[in-house]
Amino acid sequence: MNILVTGISKGLGLEITRHLLESGNNIFGISRNQTEELSTLLNTHKNLNWLQYDLADSTNVKTKVFNEFIGNTPLHAFINNAAVAYDDLITNLNDEPLLSMYRVNVFTPMHIVKYCIRNMLLHNTKGSIIHISSISAHTGYKGLAMYASTKGALEAFSKNTAREWGEKGIRSNCLVVGFMETDMSSTLTPEQKNRIFQRTSLKKPVDPRSVAETVSFLTSEKSNSITGQNIFIDNGTI
Amino acid sequence: MRDTVHQIINTVLANRGKKLIDSLNDSMRLRDDIGFDSLDLAELTVRIEAQFNVDIFEKGIISTVGEIFERLK
Ligand SMILES: NC(=O)c1ccc[n+]([C@@H]2O[C@H](COP(=O)([O-])OP(=O)(O)OC[C@H]3O[C@@H](n4cnc5c(N)ncnc54)[C@H](OP(=O)(O)O)[C@@H]3O)[C@@H](O)[C@H]2O)c1
Repeated sequence: MNILVTGISKGLGLEITRHLLESGNNIFGISRNQTEELSTLLNTHKNLNWLQYDLADSTNVKTKVFNEFIGNTPLHAFINNAAVAYDDLITNLNDEPLLSMYRVNVFTPMHIVKYCIRNMLLHNTKGSIIHISSISAHTGYKGLAMYASTKGALEAFSKNTAREWGEKGIRSNCLVVGFMETDMSSTLTPEQKNRIFQRTSLKKPVDPRSVAETVSFLTSEKSNSITGQNIFIDNGTI
Repeated sequence: MRDTVHQIINTVLANRGKKLIDSLNDSMRLRDDIGFDSLDLAELTVRIEAQFNVDIFEKGIISTVGEIFERLK
């Protein structure tokens, strides 16, 4: 399968990419930086293609991502993984960081979905779209209101994508992920992390491999009756 | 170009299991005469763009076959 994945330079995106490569998929990956881990993957996997692109730019999605990078390749799945977190109290909300987060987390992914569906229509592929959402959109955490709202937007967009394009066999789902130990969460203190763990059944961080396995399942034919869902991978948040 | 557009229209119809059309004329309405719904029209745009590099709906919705050729001029 040919799969487009955003945010493959580190964290969850890197884990998902590794996993999908190992099962023999062709990956079209996007990020701004080429980390050491990504360089290694690029050197060892011919089936990994990388585009340096800043997702804050929604205007060049068609030319740069679709015409030049993906070209005539039929896409079977899109994993919308890249995101940034603007962490602050609502009383400090500022337009500039709010807008730039929305561009990366919501607006550009929506444009990518537009061209993914167009690609799938052209090639008659029953593609699978997967958004990485966050448990913060469901439970609420102090400081994450703005960030969580981007994930709420994606969940609504995904549900409607499923409804609109289901007749063509195109599916869309969200993975609602709980706290993981990545760069995104690295600024939290051990006490803050502990408080988050205490709110889960399993009392520990979410294992990115568990998310990658679910992504892999949702891209495959095995999941062909699952669409319009939010699937929680959150260690049983309570 | 007419033959290609005719072929594309029939591809879209076939993909939805709808009845193909034998001939194409400019006054035909895409929805009422050809039988396209909004999903078919989306697929039509995509297939025409892949062939002719023009997004026929970019400048607003069109409703007849003749208007397709207008946009492709
Ligand atoms: N960590 C958690 O606890 C947690 C919990 C729930 C959900 N999530 C979600 O999981 C997903 C992955 O997060 P993570 O924890 O792996 O974060 P991360 O370690 O910070 O990685 C984020 C990835 O997104 C890419 N990215 C960020 N901004 C970009 C931009 N403007 N253009 C292109 N790429 C960009 C980064 O690449 P470059 O910097 O190289 O561009 C990086 O590869 C996100 O959707 C996040 O919201 C995370």
